[in-house]
Amino acid sequence: MSEAAFLLSTTVNGEPVTVAAPHHWTLLEVLRYKLDLIGSKQGCDKGDCGACTVQLDGEPVLACLTLAAHAQGREVTTVEGLGHCHGGCHPLQDAFDRWTAAQCGFCTPGILMSAEALIRKRGRAVEHTEVAEALAGNLCRCTGYTKILDAVVDASQQMHPAPGKE
Amino acid sequence: MATDANNPSPEDAPSHDPWQLGQSHRKVDAMERMRGITRYTDDLKLPGMLHAKILRSPHAHARIKSIDTSKALALEGVFAIVTGQDFKIPYGIIPWTPDENALAVDKVLHVGDGVAAVAARDEDTAIAAMRLIEVEYEVLKAFFDPEESLANTDRSLSINPYGRKGNLSKRVLLEFGEVEQKISGADLVVEGDYFFEGTTHGAIEPHCALAHVEGDMSKSGILTVWSATQVSHYLHRELSKVLEIPAHRIRVIQPPLGGAFGGKSEPFDLEFCAAKLAMLTGRPVKLLYTREEVFYSHRGRHPMKMHYRTGFTREGKITGVDARTILDGGAYSSFGLVTTYYSGQLLCAPYEFASYRFESLRAYTNKPACGPKRGHGSVQPRFAMEIQLDKAAVALGIDPIELRRRNNLGSESTTVNKFRVGSNGFSECLDKVEAASGWRERKPKLPYGRGLGVAGSTYISGTNYPIYPNEMPQAAVQICLDRSGRARVFSGANDIGQGSNTMLAVIVSEELGLPLEDIRVLSADTDLCPVDLGAYSSRITLMVGNACMQAAQKLRRKVCAAVAKRWEIPRRRVALIARKALDLENPDRSVPLREAFCWAEADNGLLGEVGSYNTPKDRHGDYRGGTIGASPAYSFTAHLAEVEVDPETGIVDVKTIWVAHDCGKALSKRIVEGQIEGSTYMGFGEALMEQHVVDPQHNGVHASPSFLDYRMPTFLDTPKLEAMIVEAPDANGPYGAKEAGEGPLHSSIPAIANAIYDAVGVRIDTLPFSPAKVLAAIDARREQEAAGLVPEHKSGQTHGRRSA
Amino acid sequence: MLRLPPFRVVSPDTVEGVVAALQQPGARLIAGGTDILPNLKHWLDRPEVLVSINRLTALRGIVRDDNAGVLRIGAGTTLTQIAEHPDVQQLFPSLAQSAGCVASPSIRNMGTIGGNLNLDTRCRYVNQTEFWRGAIGGGCIKSEGNVCHVVPKGRNCVAAMSSDNVPVLMSLQAVIVQAGPEGTRTVPLCDYYHADGTRHTHAKPGEITTEVQVPLPTSARRTHYVKWCVRKSIDFPLVSVALRFDLDKDDVSATISAAHVVAGVLGARPRQVRKLDAILGLALNDPKVAQIVSEAAFKQCKPLANVPYETAYRRRMIRVYTRRGIEAMVNAG
Repeated sequence: MSEAAFLLSTTVNGEPVTVAAPHHWTLLEVLRYKLDLIGSKQGCDKGDCGACTVQLDGEPVLACLTLAAHAQGREVTTVEGLGHCHGGCHPLQDAFDRWTAAQCGFCTPGILMSAEALIRKRGRAVEHTEVAEALAGNLCRCTGYTKILDAVVDASQQMHPAPGKE
Repeated sequence: MATDANNPSPEDAPSHDPWQLGQSHRKVDAMERMRGITRYTDDLKLPGMLHAKILRSPHAHARIKSIDTSKALALEGVFAIVTGQDFKIPYGIIPWTPDENALAVDKVLHVGDGVAAVAARDEDTAIAAMRLIEVEYEVLKAFFDPEESLANTDRSLSINPYGRKGNLSKRVLLEFGEVEQKISGADLVVEGDYFFEGTTHGAIEPHCALAHVEGDMSKSGILTVWSATQVSHYLHRELSKVLEIPAHRIRVIQPPLGGAFGGKSEPFDLEFCAAKLAMLTGRPVKLLYTREEVFYSHRGRHPMKMHYRTGFTREGKITGVDARTILDGGAYSSFGLVTTYYSGQLLCAPYEFASYRFESLRAYTNKPACGPKRGHGSVQPRFAMEIQLDKAAVALGIDPIELRRRNNLGSESTTVNKFRVGSNGFSECLDKVEAASGWRERKPKLPYGRGLGVAGSTYISGTNYPIYPNEMPQAAVQICLDRSGRARVFSGANDIGQGSNTMLAVIVSEELGLPLEDIRVLSADTDLCPVDLGAYSSRITLMVGNACMQAAQKLRRKVCAAVAKRWEIPRRRVALIARKALDLENPDRSVPLREAFCWAEADNGLLGEVGSYNTPKDRHGDYRGGTIGASPAYSFTAHLAEVEVDPETGIVDVKTIWVAHDCGKALSKRIVEGQIEGSTYMGFGEALMEQHVVDPQHNGVHASPSFLDYRMPTFLDTPKLEAMIVEAPDANGPYGAKEAGEGPLHSSIPAIANAIYDAVGVRIDTLPFSPAKVLAAIDARREQEAAGLVPEHKSGQTHGRRSA
Repeated sequence: MLRLPPFRVVSPDTVEGVVAALQQPGARLIAGGTDILPNLKHWLDRPEVLVSINRLTALRGIVRDDNAGVLRIGAGTTLTQIAEHPDVQQLFPSLAQSAGCVASPSIRNMGTIGGNLNLDTRCRYVNQTEFWRGAIGGGCIKSEGNVCHVVPKGRNCVAAMSSDNVPVLMSLQAVIVQAGPEGTRTVPLCDYYHADGTRHTHAKPGEITTEVQVPLPTSARRTHYVKWCVRKSIDFPLVSVALRFDLDKDDVSATISAAHVVAGVLGARPRQVRKLDAILGLALNDPKVAQIVSEAAFKQCKPLANVPYETAYRRRMIRVYTRRGIEAMVNAG
């Protein structure tokens, strides 16, 4: 079998990484099985569930449908990197914890990566409807979504307090 | 008097108000999951690990004439291959029906049945090897319809080779009271046919197992199997049986689980194959299902065809229920024996009726086997029953909530099938959804196209008897306190995301005064933990909770006694709260718990206690089958759905579902709410869009073996869910607690069906309520209205009505 | 996990490099990967080389070219970028709608317009694993076999063009630029597709779509895209109709001077609904317009059992959604 590999040079969670990867591997496989960044999950095999969502140059993408080669020279952020700028725990993670928004937690990393991008792009506290739209590609089978919506809105309010409020 | 968890002595009663129970807690294991640190099964990696894949049958029903693995074995990187010949001992989760093999021995019974398994250096090589395995089949006629399957008399076409009655998997007929007389003498008889479509669990984590061998398995070696299972104990037993290894030389570990919902509640081919391949190769072997394989493993909700006759008095009292049900079981028994009983036995609350008969037949068919999905066996009959009630309410001109109140079984009661029910908060559940939805004021005014519907249900808090008969405890917990001021809780229970580890921590916290972060819960490892039967039938809070409470209370007594001794006060005056032991009559006097633990260890030796729980044996009838479906305590639920039906497209837009659930006592508030919301959501998905079916026109292939085609609701599809907790504490539950994880699914579905009727005047008696089906029903009603056969629905409220 | 078949990846940084790489035997183009990778995970093809446009930054971006009278959209522009672009939202609201409703947000962040226009046709009997296709008896004319499971005895593949954007861009009379070994050429999108699900575009071997040119409106108009699928996200369309009405002034009571109605998810080629002359000269808000157009769409569009939903229902919904789409335009003013 032709299993040509190439040297993937990329930035993962702010740190430069060079790793040999077979051409036909996806970014998800490289993250999980080469770099042992197991936070990004594989749920559906092919882009139908969102559990593998990571950020590529800040945009949420599906790692299971991203060729490893497409991460060449770009910035990959996974759930493991989410708390880096926040002393280890991102306000979203804290809000999810307070709201019990993670039950089995398998979809949670992908949801956090989609939610973080939304709050960052909006630069303000977000509303339930826009959260639902931004997370519409992330399936969760445990929660009925209710507590996730509450947690994302809550986190965005923590990150962007309304003027006049502390 | 001996103390046990069921009858706490006055001495065990807390001497102060609860400080943890009923609060919202951060789960003990959520943060590491959210930070991507938690290792689920596929996140485990061992040195030298091989990867395995299973070759599956492309035929729905065929005899295996030959399997040639020689070419595959010759491929570089292939280490071992196993077939059905390596697993001739049949197994089954129910000990009475061992009718499957780890891989097909002589026959394949559905598309996707396992035939051979390959261990190779990586998945790509294993896949390449699978393509080189040559299997010769003799294709047999396949059965996809349960009635056609039951009608088959040609024994050579009987599906399951272990089946003893042709294609009949199980039949149950039970009768209580004078059904014919009670129904024929009723003022109103409602008769209807219902069909509940098959659905599957859809946990986002696919099944995965990793096996590893240490030492020589022919002598004293140890086999360790990590598996995404919700029943590690049963897996342990079946591995021992099939692999012919004594159980004490097998260790089963359930890593954190990515959802289950019943889909991981029995052994599957992958665990046996990974274990056997590890034994053959001496190397760790991992086997991860593709999503498609998860659909083949299935064990989801049985499709059920149900015929119901229900008698009512003029006042709306139920006089009798007569049910006939055909269960489409798929290729194997799975839990089917129990499902067949449950399809009738779990219907007898929350309503009281004097006579009841049910006949349920489970058929083998050439499809992925059905089994337990959240609300095992009782979601389907509940659907029929609650629509029957709604039809009666309309016919009798009685408010549907009022009709349910009039039939309420009540607390401390006995059902028609002789189950003893303890606490019962059903009436309060109805009150809550009625008030929250504005039912009384709003329902009469809603325009055509808009409707409210109600339904009620009940569920068990664990089954009274274990799956294999024995008199040992159903649950056990061991707790150790150490001088660092920490508790370690060892429990065999499977936390599948529902939060059972946190539930145990909350109990230990309540009893011992430790905050949750000082408590480590170590669960579901057969080497470390006492036996527990697993996460099924909503048993953990009640059973494992009781065992945990008992162990924690024993420790509390020791710790309080040690403190009391040093302070020279009665033990009852010592409370353990917020990391301190304190004197209730002199709150300024306290000592850190860590120190109190040291005192207790000095007085008693190492601080470790066990607790165990067994069910009371007076909860059921003494007829054959009378124990199946009996439970120490029953939860109750009421759902009220508001829908908007588009009469031109048939699309049902569920706006809000109010749900009130009597869980006895919410030990941890947000976790209970999450269970109620998640259950209601899952029911909603089944109601509106989910269908687990095969395509008979195309050799019985699965019609939608992916998350693209098996459509589960997204963020944008899910209605507003308003969960309300009702607490009717049950004497059998720890602090009164009952289940919350399955009951709140049931009535979600008929509530939506009844709301559709309220909106547009059509009965949708089959699942799912797809736009095409709803539109056809609306068309049919319009024709009947036009012909003057039925009145115009909501004739006074024409707003929203489509022009003809 | 579903495994991709082995291949090599090359990522040239010029269009010429891509075109040259595509000359290799067994080479296929990959843009966002959201269509080809699931298909490759299903082993519908086993290319030796994937030629990636990942490094072709020149293919990204949206530029309003008033001299040429077109909006130029680089083929590598993502669907999210298109949906959120102010010029698109202002000039071509139906395109903003269609780009914004493809699959899910992450897929729109990855998928490109070039990829979406070249989306492979889809069928319930094709977009399955190799194992599954084997189980139905060895695939079909689009995969490994030689039969059609949708139209028994049919010899033509009727897999469905399932792009949300194709009907819209056809209704907007977009032109695409194709770069190939013989240089570049432009093709009106309406002429790009033909009714063969196994090879449904007129792309020549080794060609790559580099740009979409959408003619700027020369008159007042209203456009709208209607899509129905079971879920509000993730799903491919089951009903898909693009609407465009040119008006003699910027008001919904103005007279219709031209109409372009294109329906997708039928066969391999979207259908341009014809015989709409009866509405020319009527006001857009005249109820007869919605009635005539939806009736014409219903009569001319015949969904097949190629995607997983009842065909009779889908056909009926073409009429309903077309009418509602027009009503929505009128109501929006």
